Amino acid sequence: MSMVSAEQRPRLKRRWWRREGVQGYLYISPWLLGFLMFGVAPLIAAFMTSLSKANVFRTIRFVGTDNYEKILTDDPVFATIAGNMLIYVIGSTVISICLGLVLALLLFKDFRGNHVFRTLIYVPSLLVGIATAYLFKQVFRGGEVGLANMFLSLFGTEPVNWLGDSEKPWLALVALILVNVWFAGGTMLIFLAGLKGIPASYFEAARVDGAGPWQMFRKVTLPLLSPVIVFNTVMALIGHIQVFETPLAFANSGGVATGNPLGYENSLGTFVTYLYVKGFVYQDMGYASALAFIMFAATLVLTGLVLWLARRFTAYGDADQN
Amino acid sequence: MQDVLDKPRSGDVPPAAPAARTATVRRRRNSRARWELTARITALSLFCLLLLFPFVWLVSQSLKDTNQYFAVPFEWIPSPFRWENFTDVIFKYEFLHYIGNSLWLAVYAVVVNILSSSFVAYGFSRFRFPGRNALFMVVLATMMLPGQVMTISLYRFYREIGWIDTFYPLLIPKLFGAAFEIFLFRQFFLSLPREVDEAARIDGCGTLRTWWHIILPQSKPVIIVVAVFTFLGSWRELFGPLIYLTGEENRTLPLGLLYFTSPFGSSLPMLMAAIVISLIPPVVLYALGQKYIDKGVAIAEIK
Repeated sequence: MSMVSAEQRPRLKRRWWRREGVQGYLYISPWLLGFLMFGVAPLIAAFMTSLSKANVFRTIRFVGTDNYEKILTDDPVFATIAGNMLIYVIGSTVISICLGLVLALLLFKDFRGNHVFRTLIYVPSLLVGIATAYLFKQVFRGGEVGLANMFLSLFGTEPVNWLGDSEKPWLALVALILVNVWFAGGTMLIFLAGLKGIPASYFEAARVDGAGPWQMFRKVTLPLLSPVIVFNTVMALIGHIQVFETPLAFANSGGVATGNPLGYENSLGTFVTYLYVKGFVYQDMGYASALAFIMFAATLVLTGLVLWLARRFTAYGDADQN
Repeated sequence: MQDVLDKPRSGDVPPAAPAARTATVRRRRNSRARWELTARITALSLFCLLLLFPFVWLVSQSLKDTNQYFAVPFEWIPSPFRWENFTDVIFKYEFLHYIGNSLWLAVYAVVVNILSSSFVAYGFSRFRFPGRNALFMVVLATMMLPGQVMTISLYRFYREIGWIDTFYPLLIPKLFGAAFEIFLFRQFFLSLPREVDEAARIDGCGTLRTWWHIILPQSKPVIIVVAVFTFLGSWRELFGPLIYLTGEENRTLPLGLLYFTSPFGSSLPMLMAAIVISLIPPVVLYALGQKYIDKGVAIAEIK
């Protein structure tokens, strides 16, 4: 049967669903459907909710931009959290990018054992989640039992009360940022792929021209790697803005899900933990939706800023790749 | 960075150069290269040591009782080993049940995500239709959307239709493919030669069968990468389950960890044992798929 239709095909007009364009749409239709149902529709609904007073069950009344105004002008908790996030996102992104880049440069050479190092550095970034959050909570435990303090005691430092110091609540945020040292493997791997994509002849040419290692890095590696740096920075920013498990775990008392989920004096509050508390603990859905959109706006602003800076400070790498 | 420079170069030395001088230069260069290599390896070793310490500490603490846990000075090798921590966590603390829930959710996510994402990616990579590139840009853009924005209205919707405290909110959205996985599949499919599918088409093979019999069998590397990433993503997911699964019966492993409490006094060594248990599958999975994963991560960079 298939033989017959194959021979007849040139003469017959193909049935409409056989057309290439139609088939393409058929194949992507699952995604399109999912995007409309689980992306666009809830997004619009969330926006409507953010303009209303709403609880878990229903929307009570339309309040215009009240939620946004309250969050931005009249919510001391949010003010604290916005400050936390600024410090956290900048600190963590710097760690992810700088450490990832240094590690990639160290690994960008063939030597025996390279593979082992790469694996050891990459694997922790696959484990990130509530399990590692609780692990690091114990690592940054106050007193002499915590691993961080054990390490510091080698240098004669007094034990630090990382997560519960009422005088210095910012220590908790420092611990939260430091955790990212363990998860730089993901950015490292992408940097490594980027380095391998730079044609060897460029390094060779620079060397022939007498460039030293620093000049080589500054004038060859860095500009040619800039698209990858931008990509990694944007991805790291997005990831860090949405941090959730680690601050939640750090804020819990003991190993238990109790206490203020935003930490002592809200020092561990992040956008998502606050959104969780407002929406699902206090069940103020309108407020939580507005928070979600503010978080989204912050993401867009920071991403835009990175792209703008990249365009300003990279001479050519960017234009080359896009 | 200097990778290229140290590879043997034939024809690098000008023929006129005196042999003795070249030898000195080479020796000097060699000793510098050796020094540099030592520095590299030292730095990497120190860093890996730093990375490993918490994990070694974790395993050590998971094999202790509470007194040993808090003992100063710290005991790296516990004596005696308390292996019971692990059996207790699994059987007395219901972790067997949580692991079961997490495992089937993860396996479901892997199977469904491979099928749906590769199906959609096939559409994006092998057919020309109006708006294709714009729609693909939308796929990429959705990766930037914070999932939490949608979660709130989805939660209310699921509550409306009685899906709260069921697995449906975690199962159904996976049927429609995931942006990052669609992206990975598409990049890979574009690299596959089209001649093979065209030959199949001439032989009367429909597009659906081409996807299943021609494209997928060639895609083992990307399937493995997607499988590992999807499994890990599902295995560690907390926000969704925390919101949608309210009952104890449906707890996943991350929820079990989050709500870890002990009816039998201080439970930190048990908690550590539970953490070890939850970290084992990702490590094993990575070990199995390693050679493909490194490349898979590199695909993300092409963007």
